[in-house]
Amino acid sequence: MSQVAAPVLPARYRVVERQEETQDTVTLCLRPVDQPIPAHQPGQFTMLYAPGIGEVPISISGTGPGLGLLQTVRAVGAVTRALCACAAGRVIGVRGPYGTGWDVASAAGDDLLIVAGGIGLAPLRGALLAALGHRGRYRRIVVLAGARSPEELVFARELDGWRRDGAELAVTVDQAAVGWTGNVGVVTQLIGRAGIDAARTTALICGPEVMMRITARELRALGIPAARIRVSLERNMRCGVAECGHCQLGPLLLCRDGPVISYDAALPLLAMREL
Amino acid sequence: MSGVTPADLAEHAFLRGMADGHLAVLARDCWVVPVRQGHQLFAEGDTARRFWLIRSGHVALDVHAPGDRQLIVETLGEGDLLGLSWLVPPYQWQFSATAVQDTMTFEFNVDAVLAACESDAGLGYQLLRRVMSAASSRLQATRIRMLDLYAASGTVHGGP
Repeated sequence: MSQVAAPVLPARYRVVERQEETQDTVTLCLRPVDQPIPAHQPGQFTMLYAPGIGEVPISISGTGPGLGLLQTVRAVGAVTRALCACAAGRVIGVRGPYGTGWDVASAAGDDLLIVAGGIGLAPLRGALLAALGHRGRYRRIVVLAGARSPEELVFARELDGWRRDGAELAVTVDQAAVGWTGNVGVVTQLIGRAGIDAARTTALICGPEVMMRITARELRALGIPAARIRVSLERNMRCGVAECGHCQLGPLLLCRDGPVISYDAALPLLAMREL
Repeated sequence: MSGVTPADLAEHAFLRGMADGHLAVLARDCWVVPVRQGHQLFAEGDTARRFWLIRSGHVALDVHAPGDRQLIVETLGEGDLLGLSWLVPPYQWQFSATAVQDTMTFEFNVDAVLAACESDAGLGYQLLRRVMSAASSRLQATRIRMLDLYAASGTVHGGP
């Protein structure tokens, strides 16, 4: 039997703040009740346990006060609905962190391009904040974010701060009424206007898989090598420690080998319908 | 004289790679036109007599909807072609276009450009290829938007 290095028992975390992002998405600020889980890297995920209901994989969207965590949850099923409904004071279970991170530091000296679709901005938020925290290490930090509508854009209250901290930010939505002064269209349409220097760019992409494929194709057409494009893949993560096999994608177990993988590794797997 | 040079046009993404001779012909029928934020460049149903290449800024294509609402169909920005209906019968704008911020454009006279294309099939071919490329890109983008990828079924680590 192989040894499991990562924690498999949930630690107790208390919801200390609940921020509504959109109609169906909230960010929970969690603080450890006892021992915290080990430190995380941007891009990693945890398994969040709603007592008595079940457990789900949720990307870590940032660090909270007092060794805490920020986790952005979208209410799409029984467990996430329960988590989204958690008021301040509720205690939930957290285990992890699991999986691979964005490795933002490897882009130091070059341009960092972050492309997010929908709630895909949540796993990227930590990477962006890490880069902005060392702004001088990067040339440009460009963020292209797409959402269904202005009302469904997560972290909308933070965008101005990201700009002030040195990010070049463009937002596009699928639908908007007159009065919206941002872009309307798909996020890939922003790429051509961003003045990307393909030879000096590392790209991080997170969103629905179709959106990531299309975005990666556009970036490769510009000349960015697949090895400098990273995507965050989502499968059915259950155990988090590469034991159960539910999150298998070809030779990868995404809870361990992902969720963040290089696009040169992802491309042949995503092209295979059987996977 | 319009004041626009072939070199000016050569810098625009839409015309990148076009031969100097063709750029010179287009430059004769082209003007630099600044558009103030909120100005409507054309209205749905009007005859399409001009088209624009956007140098900077943003323009929204919008459509009137019941309930006195205007819905934005798409926004166009730097490097984009504004206006496709001038090439396709009945030569009427299918949407309205309004600058959402101060915008700089190259504005073209359609009659003059079409006449130039009639007399120089090479220019017509080069122009049409670029229009087709822009139309194709917008078709792809529209198809992707129709998939409604950000609907609740696509969670991306937001959890099941």
